[in-house]
Amino acid sequence: MSSEPALMSLTAVASAIADKRVSSREATQSCLDRIAKWQPHLNAFMAIEAEEALKVADAADAALAKGSRRGPLHGVPLAHKDMYYEAGKVVTCGSRIRRDFVATTTSTALQRLKDAGTVRLGSLQMAEFAYGPTGHNAHFGPVHNPFKLGHVTGGSSSGSGSAVAARLTFAALGSDTGGSIRMPAHFCGVTGLKTTVGRVSRAGAMPLSQSLDTVGPLARTAEDCAVLLGLMAGADPADPTALPEPLPDYAAATAQSVKGLTIGVPNTFYVDDLDPEVASVLDATIAVFKREGANIVQVDLPDQRQLASASQLVLAVEAAAFHKRWLIERPQDYGPQVLMRLQNGLAISGVTYLEALRWRGPALAAHMAATANVDAVIAPVSPIPAPTIAESDVGNAPNAEAVIQRLTRFTRPINYLGLPSLSIPSGFTKNGLPVGLQLVGRSFDEATILRIGAAFQRATDFHEKVPLLP
Amino acid sequence: MTRPTEKEIGAIASAAGVPVDMEVAARITNSIGPAFDGFAAIAGTLPFDLEPSTFVLVQTAKAAR
Repeated sequence: MSSEPALMSLTAVASAIADKRVSSREATQSCLDRIAKWQPHLNAFMAIEAEEALKVADAADAALAKGSRRGPLHGVPLAHKDMYYEAGKVVTCGSRIRRDFVATTTSTALQRLKDAGTVRLGSLQMAEFAYGPTGHNAHFGPVHNPFKLGHVTGGSSSGSGSAVAARLTFAALGSDTGGSIRMPAHFCGVTGLKTTVGRVSRAGAMPLSQSLDTVGPLARTAEDCAVLLGLMAGADPADPTALPEPLPDYAAATAQSVKGLTIGVPNTFYVDDLDPEVASVLDATIAVFKREGANIVQVDLPDQRQLASASQLVLAVEAAAFHKRWLIERPQDYGPQVLMRLQNGLAISGVTYLEALRWRGPALAAHMAATANVDAVIAPVSPIPAPTIAESDVGNAPNAEAVIQRLTRFTRPINYLGLPSLSIPSGFTKNGLPVGLQLVGRSFDEATILRIGAAFQRATDFHEKVPLLP
Repeated sequence: MTRPTEKEIGAIASAAGVPVDMEVAARITNSIGPAFDGFAAIAGTLPFDLEPSTFVLVQTAKAAR
């Protein structure tokens, strides 16, 4: 056991608390100590609730001493993206508009994690209204990458990626509408699971796009993500879009090897125009899977640019519709970049929007036909490692818009298809920046991509690398 | 399908109840234009009976197998 409990994985600390090898107070204090050291450098937290967290941790320890364990994550301290409503708490959504918004309900995903016994450390930074891929925030400042300060974390779950990587929390909820879990996971060297649309309830989660929004975890390992998904997934009377599909034992799936599984490598688009270091990480990762017994085959996917375009049309309109009242009443209270993105949705007619939605079924069917012989597809999350905060600052850097377009190129098509995708830490650049790859699965088959991710993490140690303060 | 012009964007935004000036409309054209270009091959080709809910049917049919 590490002398610093915060360095343990979620599953390891949960088990250590259950066995009374570590108390919830020790685990919580360990996270708080790291938060105190790192927060001035990272800006990953929106709110730190140290006193309250320790009080709840003490109560968890007292309950355990009496033989009462609330659930599988009894006493485990966590913090989440500041867009999950918790009754009585301020939920800023990374915005000025909701700076003082106090939620009156608790999101289903959060409630299910609370019911499992978790302790709240505070809330995590994010892109304003989850509408930005870099981690910039005009109101609360940018979040920094713990592996290289001054570089972006990716967004919109910027605080989640940064805090999990720096071991300030054992895991964090993010949300993924256009890549917002996978990009911070890729840039910050953590594991991030974008779930299938309909797998996890979105009740009480700030909406951005009702067709594309998904709730999912960022954590250190695929096994941690599996545990969290198992606790959160499933139907919810408060969200009819959360489907009652069967729930496999995700954690059990992560114990299996990749022997006999087939992983597809796209022969175009996802392998085009890659940074050479990302390309070599992809090659090395494929080699690991081959060594571990997976079959590797080429796959010829349908035109991914069309999917990305349809995704943008749907997202732009739905986001503009959610924000319409504030676009009329409070446009000055948005950051300039988010205001511009929201205004984009005003330019798209109802007919075009509905065409983009109507095509979604045939597009998914075509993808399924193209991938019928594989269990998952492997692809980079982004063609490049984390750019600097300065070079991706739209409005202040000449090529920032081009940089941002390039960042999201490989994530948007997957959102349009509603598929699950697991981003796993797969290597580092010579400069010390993490590189993640995504494993894209079949609808509602998170179990297989978690299995593949866990097998990779048993064979490698990229997910164990802890960033150091400069 | 072609990307909308500044004038068209001005009209659509007005109809949506959130008017924008010509400068903003020009910026939107450049920003959203590539999405229109990318979707052009699909627009206007979808069969009459295709409902958006087909997506969920395709999703769950696969999951059931």
